[in-house]
This record gives sequence, C-alpha cells and structure tokens, in this order.
Amino acid sequence: MLPTAEEAAKALRDIDVIKHRAAGFQDYRAESSQLILWGLVYLAGFSLTACFREHLLLVWTLVTSAGLGLGALLAYRSGLSVSIIWRYLAIVITILVFIAVLHVIFWPITAEQGAMLGPLFVATLYILRGIQLRPRYTAIGCTLGFLCLVGYLFLLPVFWPWMAMACGGTLILSGLWLRSR
Amino acid sequence: MQTPDEIIHQPVRLKIMAALNTLGSGQWLEFVALRSIVQATDGNLGAHLTTLESAGYVAVKKDFIGKKPRTRVCLSRAGREAFGRYVTALQAILAPGNLDD
Repeated sequence: MLPTAEEAAKALRDIDVIKHRAAGFQDYRAESSQLILWGLVYLAGFSLTACFREHLLLVWTLVTSAGLGLGALLAYRSGLSVSIIWRYLAIVITILVFIAVLHVIFWPITAEQGAMLGPLFVATLYILRGIQLRPRYTAIGCTLGFLCLVGYLFLLPVFWPWMAMACGGTLILSGLWLRSR
Repeated sequence: MQTPDEIIHQPVRLKIMAALNTLGSGQWLEFVALRSIVQATDGNLGAHLTTLESAGYVAVKKDFIGKKPRTRVCLSRAGREAFGRYVTALQAILAPGNLDD
C-alpha cells in the first residue's frame, strides 16, 4: 500500500535526523582519536620540559614531529582519503607555523609564555568550532583555555607539571568523552 | 507511482539503512555505534538487521578484537540502490502534482 503524504514526509524527516546524528557520531569518533593522541603529545612534551628545561626546543621538535606522524597514520588507518589526510597535515602544520611566527614577533618571551600559545590557540579553535558545529567542542575549548590560564596566572611554581595535566589530561579525557557518545 | 520498499519502510529498519547510507562504499559500522545512532535495543536492532541481511541489503561480519567479540555492519550495493529508490519513491509521493490528487 502506498504511504500517505504525511507518512512520506515523516520518513524523510527521520532520514535527515539520522543523517545528522550519524555525521555527528562519526565526527566525534574521528576527533576523539586525535584528541587522545595530541593529549599524549602535550603530556609527554610538558613532562619532558619539566625535567629537561635546557632542551626545550629539542623536546618539542621531537614530540610534535611524532604527533604529526602518528596523527597522519591514525587518519590513514581510519580509512580517510589521501586528500583529507593532506588537509589534516596542512591544518596541523599551519597551527605550528602560526605559533612559531608568534614566538618570532613577540621575542623575547619566557618559556611559560611561549607554552601558553599553542593550548590557547587550540582552545579558541575548539570554542569557535563548537559554536558553529557541535556543542561538546565548546566545552572542551573552554575547559582547556580556563585550566591553562589558571596555571599561568596562579600556579607558575608548578607550571610545567600543571600544564602536563591541564593540557594533556584535558585533551585525553575529552577524547574519551567524545568516544562515550 | 512506485511503491516504497516494504522492507525498508519500517521505522527501525529505515533508521538502520539511513545510518549505513552515510558511510562510504565498503565501510563498516560497529554494532554498538549503530545502536547508539538508531537508539534501539540490542535485541530489536539484531532482529531488524537479520531481516535486512536476508533481503541482501546489509552484510554482517562477526570477529574478535583480542578476546572481545565485535559485530560490524555494512550496506551492500543492493541495499544502497534500494535505499536510493526508496527515497525517490517518498519524494515522488510528496511531489506537487501527486499531492493535488
């Protein structure tokens, strides 16, 4: 029997709802792996910085290179097309270049000031992305930005361990939160 | 006017097909992920997947990740074509000329 116009309209609406939900689900899933990965990168970077302050540049060159390589590998293994993997690499490299350029413009800056640039920029990007797309990203951005600022403004004596937990820990927990959806 | 596919024209099966149709060709979705998207119970989802599998619209693959069992679902080519025809049939019902009848 032929469905009525109301039934047909409802079925099409249901399809749209599921399409939107599935897109959100896949988006959060893909983002969760990257959040956990970059959380581990920040955790390693800030922990190593706490131990080897004099080798700061070497530490961050190594951990960001590892993050970039592993991030591309994760994207490849999740079945994304080559063009999307290149886009991912371009986005991460743009963020890294932006942070490097800020260092040059504002030099000399303290190591603590320099360490705030990346997390605050990432926090801002997530807040904007959340406003435009999905609310969980705004919560992640606000938490990350707030905790990093607290560390810089009030906890300078324990800045590096605090940043390892506040930045790395927030990103890892956020990744697990998105996965639990 | 073409009658919409009766197998797909069931709320839960429609949601399953719509969710799987968002994936690329040959991409698999885990049962737990599908359950979360469709918002159905394990038993209900399993029963409807069996119906869709019998019709040749979906493929179901069961394997293990370590010792943990995993079930994955994929839309078959026939399923994708049937879903496309189903949506076209719904749109035809809502076409201005048909609404006047």
